[in-house]
Amino acid sequence: MKGYVAVLIAGLALSLGGCASTQDTSGANDPYESTNRKIFDMNMKLDRAVMKPVAKAYVKVVPEPMRDGVHNFLYNLDLPVTFANDILQGEFERSGETFARLTVNTTLGLGGLMDVATKMNIPNHTEDFGQTLAVWGSGEGPYIVWPFYGPSNPRDTAGAIVDIGFDPLTYVSWRSKFWYMAGRGALNVIDLRARNLDQLDSIERSSLDLYASIRSLYRQNRNNEIRNGAPDVSNLPNL
Amino acid sequence: MQSSSLFSVGAKAAAVAVALFVLSQPVAASPAAEQFVQTNVQRGLEILNNQALSKDQRQSQFRAFLTTLTDLRRIALYTLGPARRTATPAEQNEFVDAFRDYAFAVYGAEFAKYSGQSLKVTGSLERAPGDELVRTILVDPHAPRGQEPIEVDFRVYDTNGKYAVVDIVVAGLDLAITEQDDFSSFLAQHNNNVKALSQNLRQRAAHVRETGQI
Repeated sequence: MKGYVAVLIAGLALSLGGCASTQDTSGANDPYESTNRKIFDMNMKLDRAVMKPVAKAYVKVVPEPMRDGVHNFLYNLDLPVTFANDILQGEFERSGETFARLTVNTTLGLGGLMDVATKMNIPNHTEDFGQTLAVWGSGEGPYIVWPFYGPSNPRDTAGAIVDIGFDPLTYVSWRSKFWYMAGRGALNVIDLRARNLDQLDSIERSSLDLYASIRSLYRQNRNNEIRNGAPDVSNLPNL
Repeated sequence: MQSSSLFSVGAKAAAVAVALFVLSQPVAASPAAEQFVQTNVQRGLEILNNQALSKDQRQSQFRAFLTTLTDLRRIALYTLGPARRTATPAEQNEFVDAFRDYAFAVYGAEFAKYSGQSLKVTGSLERAPGDELVRTILVDPHAPRGQEPIEVDFRVYDTNGKYAVVDIVVAGLDLAITEQDDFSSFLAQHNNNVKALSQNLRQRAAHVRETGQI
């Protein structure tokens, strides 16, 4: 059942992603801009009211080695998804690195708390199904801002849903699983927000239109991830 | 077919494949552009590290240094996007001044946080003759453990032997593109009014200088 849903969603993503938008005249491929802006404003209010203060408190109260441990642990939990997508993209060397990282950090790294793999010079990367769809030829489609989850597009949204199916922990059931999932989700948000406090402040400081800046940065970042960090020399701007 | 001619056909095919592969790669080029970046990174760091100067003196020296290093006018006019063509020369000049003011205020705030970081040149790629991308990594003694080193690429133009930085790409994020996208959105909401954009940039620069925040 989950498999059928995944295929349906991937198909939807591919069709929406490939569509050229006819309503959008600004060239920014953002036909839902007015709705997106409202949701973006709502997200920013929520961030100022809740996420940012919680993240700042987290940084203040929890010592750095412990925060690093939390980050390593959460990152390790996501490695099976990266592994699955490495394989799907045909990146076999990278899948080997991911597998090595997962094994070493889970065992020697005490369940993922310690990042032993980096000390062993095993390179670090993440993959997701949105990137896999891109590698398979899907366009990103129109810009979407989801409540709470933030910037996305049809391809990346479908990818995120499919990745739930790639996470082995989705299939394990135990008592209090709901609280575990909620806790993991909340911790992921706090961890990410805490690691980006200065960067988001810098972006807010320099932007005239924060919405447009974030839209641009989200897309550039995704394209960079899809290229696995390789510079896109031919597509550099003509200054 | 005899085995020797099969071999020679195979060898020729392999040679062609290698040649095509080599031609299709961006030309790894310009030790001169790399040297330009590395030397100037050193010079910049010397200024930022100069404890003999006051903080304000360091900032203004660094600002002067950046002005010689970059082609700010070219960057500014790029960020105007299509509005560049409809702006009058006076409006363009006013905008370039406002952009300079804004860039130094906003990015100056970043350099003020400097604490021992440096850049190490790792190579370069040529996009076209005189158009290089010099690749560096940010060496940060204070980075959280396990964080991948940040890649900072400098787009360098060579005009008659004079090098200038015309763009920076940090972790895949292109400064000129991001600024152009930001300004384009502003202009779309303000009737393509370049004067209004210039004014807004100056206001923002003043605000950052006064408060150090948004």
